Amino acid sequence: MNKTLALIAVSAIALAGCNDKAGSSGASRDYISAVGSSTVYPFATTAAEEFVRANAGMKTPKIESTGTGGGMERFCQGVGAAYPDIEDASRRMKKSEFDKCVANGVKDIVEIQVGIDGIAVAQSVDGTKLSLTPQDLYKALAANVDGKPNTAKTWKDVNPSLPAIGISVYGPPSTSGTYDAFKELILLKGCEADPKMKAMKESDKDGFEKSCTDLRSAPYYVEQGENDNLMIGKLAKNPNSVGLFGYSYLEENQDKVRGIPLNGIAPEYAAIASGEYPGARPLYIYIKKAHVGVIPGIKEYVAEFLKGAGEGGYLKAKGLILSPADVAAKANATAAAMTTLDGADLK
Amino acid sequence: MNSPDALDAAVDRTPTDWNAPDMQARIRRRYASERRFKYVGLSAVAASAAFLAFLLIVMIGNGIGGFTQTRIALPVDFETAPISVDPDLLRSGSGEAALANADFQGLVEYAATAAYGPGANQYFSDGAWVLVRRQIAANPDLLLGKTVFDLPAASDIDIANKSEGSAEAERAVKLLDSRHALSKSLNVAFLTGGDATDPALAGIWGALKGSLLTMLVTLVLAFPVGVLASLYLEEYAARNRLTDIIEVSINNLAAVPSIIFGLLALAVFINLFGMPTSSPLVGGVTLALMTMPVIVIAGRNAIKSVPPSIRDAALGVGASRVQVVFHHVLPLALPGILTGTIIGMARALGETAPLLLIGMRAFIADPPGGITDPSTVLPMQIFLWSDEVDKGFVEKTSAAIIVLLVVLLSMNAFAVYLRNRFEKRW
Repeated sequence: MNKTLALIAVSAIALAGCNDKAGSSGASRDYISAVGSSTVYPFATTAAEEFVRANAGMKTPKIESTGTGGGMERFCQGVGAAYPDIEDASRRMKKSEFDKCVANGVKDIVEIQVGIDGIAVAQSVDGTKLSLTPQDLYKALAANVDGKPNTAKTWKDVNPSLPAIGISVYGPPSTSGTYDAFKELILLKGCEADPKMKAMKESDKDGFEKSCTDLRSAPYYVEQGENDNLMIGKLAKNPNSVGLFGYSYLEENQDKVRGIPLNGIAPEYAAIASGEYPGARPLYIYIKKAHVGVIPGIKEYVAEFLKGAGEGGYLKAKGLILSPADVAAKANATAAAMTTLDGADLK
Repeated sequence: MNSPDALDAAVDRTPTDWNAPDMQARIRRRYASERRFKYVGLSAVAASAAFLAFLLIVMIGNGIGGFTQTRIALPVDFETAPISVDPDLLRSGSGEAALANADFQGLVEYAATAAYGPGANQYFSDGAWVLVRRQIAANPDLLLGKTVFDLPAASDIDIANKSEGSAEAERAVKLLDSRHALSKSLNVAFLTGGDATDPALAGIWGALKGSLLTMLVTLVLAFPVGVLASLYLEEYAARNRLTDIIEVSINNLAAVPSIIFGLLALAVFINLFGMPTSSPLVGGVTLALMTMPVIVIAGRNAIKSVPPSIRDAALGVGASRVQVVFHHVLPLALPGILTGTIIGMARALGETAPLLLIGMRAFIADPPGGITDPSTVLPMQIFLWSDEVDKGFVEKTSAAIIVLLVVLLSMNAFAVYLRNRFEKRW
């Protein structure tokens, strides 16, 4: 009597199996597949559209928004049509990720910096004006300060010159590149300002990073999903909250939120491009060299991306901050020659 | 001593005095409690109706504008325009390269400045020049004289024209309106196109087609398996511990959170079987796993409700077990099975969580051509658009929700139709 059930199960699997063969037959793909950061996503999709407009007959690349970490996982799984060709990253590839790539046969990776993104620390336009420093943010958000649980309830507890407004920060989830950048660019910097922590950095690097980046939970630090528009909506409703997100969202929503100056420098285009603003980070794309020439159009797509990200390019209008001239020149040279990454200087 | 007289004396035989004050009070209390219950029930219905109405009104109010598009007339005089494409070349069919090299962006900028002053190319959507190129490719004769193109407006102009926009955009609208250059028409691109980064060009058809293909795969896999499983369990399986375990497992499967199916699909279908990521095939198989238990449960209930006398009568006139099942039980149970199936499918149609993990959270501009092409689905498209930076997508998100609701409503209407059409009463 169970034979019938078993038969049904087997036939279902067989059906799935034969479909599978039909799907991956020929082991090739006629469109580019890119995965990765939701911050790079709007630029990657715009470049994808322009790529199709400029190259008649090409299919539109598929751009998945998975977050930098999740994308790296997929990118490093192997070489072949089943795996993505390009990884969009809002931070540099980590040494561990590079090693994983190499272990899975993805040996030749081309790294290209496409531009800069600023992490905006912002609040509702209706809120009391704040001006913060990385130290303030660290002291407000770290789970433990000076080895003791953090007890600060208002910004005034953190820094007497700040108003007595309850601490409430909306931030990205830990899988996102925005979060990594916030950790590196703001939390660690703020942490280092404390001499005791600085001493710890010399002696115990891992412990230092852990105690600096271990965050408090709600209501102080509230993790939001990857949806930045939702965060802007929440900030508009809670004028006393502070939000962390990509600069392009700040620029597009000037009527609802305003940037909070860090160290007295407001998150503005010029300050971010010059590197003066502390919360700026580079954006990269990583290309699997083994796929160039096998999957059609990769070289053209990268060229189109860099054209858009260059001086006078269309990506500036989408909120991308252009790389300084020397970085841009290096990116163009790398893209033209497809110079691979040796991985020695990755962290 | 137990004489009838004594009993009579013991029981008070006076008729109920309905007009006595405490009797009246009791009656009032009874009626009041009846009324209270009626009103509580009524207010429950009213509350759910109000929620639904609120949702629909908000969605339709926000989204109806997404089906129309503000267009701006752009007069182009090709005699003087800074573009040179030979129309004969286009007609001969070898003009694709010529068109690709021609600077249509510059043309739109030039013509807009000539017509509406400096900076006027900002009024047009970023992709407007692509439409000019497409129209010229379709009709090269346009290159020979003056032509007025009807091009989609940029999203801030579109918003300002439909409702309240920024001061700058409102000024532009006033200027364009005074020249009678503005028009509003049905946004055909929205209903026939795929995803785009420009809200004026973004369409829902790619996602809708992806959803339909995914549902097709789901139906083809889940319906036969679900119906056969429920027939076997009801008509053939012996009542023993094993069947009990199977029954409990199926009920549990129906209650498993959908994200778990996504993880399973990623590990098994994509990593182990190597099925193409982001394809309706993988999505359909994943959702079939989720829908199948719902069909089994609905199917078993429908089969159970077929009266045993029908089976007995059929067996009595000499029908075999298979004949009983296929000639009598299944046709009678079908309306119930179909209703259950459509409810399961409707749930699958609105599902996003498992599809996130199999690569459907992606920008896919070309509508899928088959079940192995990359594609996205309606709820995922809504999710993606809700995260877009450009404000023009707010309206598109609501419009996409309307499309999803219409598809769901028509599926449910179809379920009601099937039930009424095939239902038999005894």
